[in-house]
Amino acid sequence: MTFHDAAAREFPPFSTDLCIKCNVCTTVCPVARVTDDFPGPKYVGPQAQRFRGPGVGRDAPDDTVDLCSGCGICTRACPAGVLIAETNNRARAAIVEDRGSSLRNRLISDTDLIARLGVPLAPLANIGLRNGLARRLGEKLLGIHRRGPLTTFARRTFTSWWKRRGGATSLPVTADPERTVVYFHGCAVNAFEPDLGRDAVEVLERNGFTVIVPRQECCGLPFISNGLYDQARTKARRNLSSLAAFARAGYRIVGTSTSCTHALKAEYRDMLDLSDADATAVADATWDICELLLDLHDRGELDTGFAPMDEPLPYHPPCQLKSHGIGTPAMDLFSLVPGLRAVDSDHDCCGAAGTYGLKVERWQIAQDVGAPLFAAVRASGAVRAACDSETCRWQIEQSSGVPTVHPITILAESYRRAGTAVEEPWRRIV
Amino acid sequence: MPRADVVVIGAGLAGLSCAAELAERGIRVYLAAKGMATTHWMHGGLDVAAPDGARSFRDGIRLLAAKRGHPYRTLATAAAPAVSTHLARMASAGLEHVGSLDDPMRHVPTAIGSRRPAAMVPSAQAAALEPWAGDGLLLIGFKRYRDAWAPYAARNLEHARWRGGPPKIRAIEVELPGLNGLHNIAPQILARMFEDAAWRARALSAIADALPAGAWRIGMPAVLGLDAHAEVHADAERTLGHRIFEMASLPPSVPGLRLFEALRRRILTLGGRIQIGFDVVRVERSGHRITAIHTEAASRTLRIAGDAFVLATGGIGGAGIRASHDGTLTERVFDLPIVAPPRERWFSDDPLRPHPLETAGIEVDANLAPPELENVRVIGSALPGMHYLDERCGDGVALASAHLAAHSIARARTVTA
Repeated sequence: MTFHDAAAREFPPFSTDLCIKCNVCTTVCPVARVTDDFPGPKYVGPQAQRFRGPGVGRDAPDDTVDLCSGCGICTRACPAGVLIAETNNRARAAIVEDRGSSLRNRLISDTDLIARLGVPLAPLANIGLRNGLARRLGEKLLGIHRRGPLTTFARRTFTSWWKRRGGATSLPVTADPERTVVYFHGCAVNAFEPDLGRDAVEVLERNGFTVIVPRQECCGLPFISNGLYDQARTKARRNLSSLAAFARAGYRIVGTSTSCTHALKAEYRDMLDLSDADATAVADATWDICELLLDLHDRGELDTGFAPMDEPLPYHPPCQLKSHGIGTPAMDLFSLVPGLRAVDSDHDCCGAAGTYGLKVERWQIAQDVGAPLFAAVRASGAVRAACDSETCRWQIEQSSGVPTVHPITILAESYRRAGTAVEEPWRRIV
Repeated sequence: MPRADVVVIGAGLAGLSCAAELAERGIRVYLAAKGMATTHWMHGGLDVAAPDGARSFRDGIRLLAAKRGHPYRTLATAAAPAVSTHLARMASAGLEHVGSLDDPMRHVPTAIGSRRPAAMVPSAQAAALEPWAGDGLLLIGFKRYRDAWAPYAARNLEHARWRGGPPKIRAIEVELPGLNGLHNIAPQILARMFEDAAWRARALSAIADALPAGAWRIGMPAVLGLDAHAEVHADAERTLGHRIFEMASLPPSVPGLRLFEALRRRILTLGGRIQIGFDVVRVERSGHRITAIHTEAASRTLRIAGDAFVLATGGIGGAGIRASHDGTLTERVFDLPIVAPPRERWFSDDPLRPHPLETAGIEVDANLAPPELENVRVIGSALPGMHYLDERCGDGVALASAHLAAHSIARARTVTA
C-alpha cells in the first residue's frame, strides 16, 4: 500500500490529489448524462475539493455536489484510485453542517420514525400513499414527488412476526458460528417488505442455518446520503453496539439489502469515520445474503434442490451491490435454478439512489437516469424482474410497471416448489 | 468465488483485446481491473509503429524490431494477424477502419493543429488520411464547446510546413441549436445529442448554413454519435455534401469510448466476465504457478481463481509499475522483476524528448512469460524497452502481445488437455 492508498483509507478526500483530470468519471456518471445542471464527478469532486477545507470561505463552488446521487460508479471507474463518490458525499455533509437541512430531507431519511408512524396506521397510511390527492399534498408541503417510488406499509413488522414465531434475538450458548447467522433485515424489510425477511429466513434455514435477529435500527444510509452525518452516526453506533458482540464471536451478519450491507461494510468507515474495533469487526463479518449462499455453494454445501422456474428474469445489479466488489452472486445462484433465464440488465443505475428519486426537484433526473433500464425491463416480456436493493426495486417496479422482487424471493419460491421440510405453514405476513 | 480459465488483469486495449480473443476461442475469461484505462483517452486511430522515418507501419515494426530490447523483437510477426483480428472485431461491432500495415504513412491534423503520423484509422477519420488532391481543409468548431478550438487549430496548421497538405485551411465556428445556456457540454454529451435524429437534422442544417463555398474536407470534433456512430457520420456527410473526418480532442475521447464499449460487449456476449473498480491486493501461488488473485472489496477480498493469468496493467505511465522515492520500481500485482534504466538516468533535461524511465517494464521470455511463473503472461505497455509515445507503437504492441498471449495460453491448454 502506498502513502496515498493509506492516506485515502484514513480520509477519502486525500485521494483527490491523485486525480489526473482524465474525465473518465464524467463519461460514466449517470446523472451528468441526463442533466446539464450537474457538471460531473470530476468538477464537484477533485476540482472543487481544492476550494474546501478549514478556513476556506463558505462560498466554495460546490453546491452542485448535492446533485450527486451517490451511486459510486465514478469511484469504480477512476483509473487513478480517487475516492470520488466518497469525497462528494462528505462535501454534501459539510454543506448540510454549515447550512442545515430541509425538513423533507430529515424526514425521508428517518426511516425508523416513518415506520413507527406508518405501520400502526398501515391501512390508513397506505390509502394516503396510494391517493393522488394526498400525494399531491405531500409534494406541495414536503417536496416528495407525487410519483416518487414509495411502497406501502406492512400491517405487521418483520420483527413482530419474528417475535411471535419465537425466533431467537440473542445467542444460545451452544450456537455454532458456522451454522448460525445474524440477520440484518434493515428498515425496509421490517416496515415495508416483511415477506422478503420471511423468504430470507426460509432460505437460510433450509440451508441449515439458525437465524438470530438481534435488536437493530435502520443502517443510517438514508441519513448518510442526505449529508446528515450526526444522525447517521447515532444509528450506526446503536447498530454496532448490538452487532459487534456477534461479529467478534465469529458469527456472520447477513443482509438482504445490498445498500444496508454496504453501509455496514464500508460507509460507516468511509463516510462516518467509524473505524474502531467494533466497526471493523462488524464490517468484516457482514455478508450480502447472495454472497453468503454462493460461498456456501463454493464449499459444496448449498442445497441445490431448486425446482424449475420456467421464466425469463431481467436482473438489475444495484449500484450499491457493485460497490461491494463481490461480482453479481445473484446471477451465479440463478444459474443453479433450472429453467430460470436470468439476464443481467447491463445498465448502470436505476436512478432512485435511495431517497434521491423521491425528491420533487430530483424526480425527473432519477426517471431519466433509469429510463433505458425501465425500457429494457418492459421489453423483456418478463412477468417480474429482480434486484437486490429495495429503493431500486420500487423504482424499477413503478417506472417499468413490471413487479420487481429480491433474488431471494425467487430462490425461496423455487425451494418451496421443490417441497420444503419447514416446521410451520408459511403464511404471507401482510 | 469466481473461477475462470484465464484471468486478465487490466482493462486497456491490451487487456480487453486479450480477453476478447480468449473468449472467441471458447475460453472462460474473467477480466478484473482497478479502473478504466487509456481507451478513454485514445485518438481512435491505431498507433501500430510509427517511429521517425517509418514509411509504413510494417516499416516501423521493422525499425523497432531492430532496436535492442524492444517488444517488437518478439512481437513483429504477431502484429499482422493481431491487427487484422482487431479490425475484424471492430467491424463486427460496426466500427469499420481503413488502412493497412503497408499503406504509406501520412499525416493527419490533430485538434490542437499539430499533425500525427497515421496509416490506420476508423472510417470516420478516413477523409484525413487520403491525399488532399486539391481539397481545402475546413475545420469546424462548435460555439460553447470548450474542448476543441477550430480557429486555433487552423492557425497552428497554417504556420507549419505541410508537404502534400491541403491548398487552403479555414476554420469556422457554428452555433449548434440548444447549446445556448448549457454549461457542461462534454464530448460524450454532444455525441448523444447527435444520435437524436431530430436534433441532428437541425444541427447539420446550422452547419450547412455556415459552410463557405468550395471543395472542402471537413474536420470536426469527434462527437458524431456513440452507438449509432456509423449512421450519424454517414448522415452528416450526406447532408453537408463533403467528406468529414473526426478529430479527438481533450479526454474523454469519444472514439475511445466506442472502442471500449465494442470490446466490453464482445467479451460479455461471449460469456466472459468483467469487474472494473477493484485493485488486486493479494495473490496465491503454488510453486511456479499463480492459482488465484484477490481483489479488494467493501469487506474481505474477492478471490478469483484461474488456470492462467494475463497481466495487462500498464507500465510506468499507467498503473502497472510504481516508482518510489528511494529508486525502487515495483510491479504491483505479482511483484515481478523489472527491467529499467539505472536510478541516475531517471531524470531527463529535455521534457520534449522521450523519457528514459518510459522504457521500464517487466522482464519476459519469448512467450511473454515472466521468470519463474509459468502460467502468467505480460502484455501491453507493461513490456519493457519501448518509448511508446515517441515510437507510436503502443496500440500495435498491445494488440500483438494480447494476440500472442492468447495464442500461447490456448496452445498450452490444448497440450494439457
